[in-house]
Amino acid sequence: MSDRSQRRERKERGASRREFLKTTAVGMGALAGAPGAAKALDFDVETFLQKNFRRMSDEEIEELVGRLSERYSKAYGKTVSVDATGPIDGVVYGYGLDISRCIGCRRCVYACVEENNLSRDPQIHWIRVLEFEREAALRGIDLEDGNPYYDHDQVPAEDKFYLPVACQHCEDSPCTNVCPTGATWQEPDGIVVIDYDWCIGCRYCMAACPYGARHFNWGEPNVPAEEINPDMHLLGNRPRSRGVVEKCSFCIQRVRKGRYPACHEACPVGARKFGNMLDPESEIRYLMKHKRTFVLKSDLNTRPKFFYFYG
Amino acid sequence: MASVPPDRGDPDPPRHLLVTWLLFGAALLLVLGLFAVRMEQQPNTSRDYPSRAMLPHAEPVLLPPPPMEDEYLPCSDCHADEPINRTPRVLEDEHDEMEFAHGDLWCLHCHAGDEERRLRLADDTRVPFEESWRLCTQCHAKKLPGWRAGVHGKRTGSWRGPSEYWNCVACHNPHLPPFQSLEPKPPPLRPEQITLSGVPAEETTHE
Repeated sequence: MSDRSQRRERKERGASRREFLKTTAVGMGALAGAPGAAKALDFDVETFLQKNFRRMSDEEIEELVGRLSERYSKAYGKTVSVDATGPIDGVVYGYGLDISRCIGCRRCVYACVEENNLSRDPQIHWIRVLEFEREAALRGIDLEDGNPYYDHDQVPAEDKFYLPVACQHCEDSPCTNVCPTGATWQEPDGIVVIDYDWCIGCRYCMAACPYGARHFNWGEPNVPAEEINPDMHLLGNRPRSRGVVEKCSFCIQRVRKGRYPACHEACPVGARKFGNMLDPESEIRYLMKHKRTFVLKSDLNTRPKFFYFYG
Repeated sequence: MASVPPDRGDPDPPRHLLVTWLLFGAALLLVLGLFAVRMEQQPNTSRDYPSRAMLPHAEPVLLPPPPMEDEYLPCSDCHADEPINRTPRVLEDEHDEMEFAHGDLWCLHCHAGDEERRLRLADDTRVPFEESWRLCTQCHAKKLPGWRAGVHGKRTGSWRGPSEYWNCVACHNPHLPPFQSLEPKPPPLRPEQITLSGVPAEETTHE
């Protein structure tokens, strides 16, 4: 058999498989569309056949964004706009956090919950504020010793210090390296994002992440309609379906429009800094130049873009 | 018979060496020329990204300070008729509910006294409350570069466009500078407390 005919046969086989998938999907879609399953976040054919975000053409992205905006608007009874604003040329985001200022008040945690439509029940927090003994820190920080469950009447508690941890947006990110479906990757502006429709929930990335920054969605997206943030990004704060992994996206829906992340604006002590690492005039570059900065678990060589510093 | 001097070789360098040098020189010129043209074609590319240095706001956008309790305003209600007593003293009749712990400072080190909502710098310049950072940084000068760069203090707005610089007094109470402690938001649930759509974890876990 010649190469050419082999190729043709493969092609036909592929076509018939595609046909098969399509008819099955339509069948399942019809089932899902049966009365009683009218919830707008349910399975549908388009999502099932959807390409990976990175393989979509501009038209396909536009179509998807329109479809999702419509679906969420219907589900939450208010005008929701999903967008897919791309990276800005010449920008790589960097985050700074002044551990000498953080008082552990967790304002950032809850600002993030509201901004990013995090599930209220089961509870998911993208930011964990770890509490450490000051004494212990003299011997070096071990993240294992951090206690996120501290419950004081007033903070900062005596002889303690605080270290908020979320996604570190590593340059060499272990999580994206292990993803079997290519559902998570690093964007040109340095943000590690997830295509929630391509995540199969295998949680390899959660095992790979040295910072515990990734969270699994055990339940259906559970956010009261009146608390839904209607400014959504396709790769950011749109409601995640059950069984996918999610994490901090540097508030991609805000920062790509020039705004600061929500946690940054919520911080009452101004411990959080954000900016373009390629701009020598930015806040982040100033602190990298003038302050003593460090990254978490630098020995792993993941090269985080989240810098802690001592102001 | 005339003696012929023995051939000691051409005193000039051999022709092939000359050609080599000429070629080398030409090549060098060509390379330099190309380099120059390249530099010409690519003017300084270090500014083709959004830079904060290019923004119109060279001077900080300042937020107004937190408002004082209404019962004291305007100051002239009481202070207009009284002659100014510039002797530092502990306040007993008025403003006595306020706490003061800012070094050895007393009211008129900072407040103008003779002008409504004005502060007095060391050189007797009067500045409005909105520019109180100019007063604070007379002593706390080390904080100024960091604050201007956006690393000390807080900013809101845009990481690339105009942003509000929070004034010193937006975070630090000038009368009682140490940070007051805050009530923290609730801690995250422990894994065993997390419920799945209202069902406690122990009922959904299997043996």
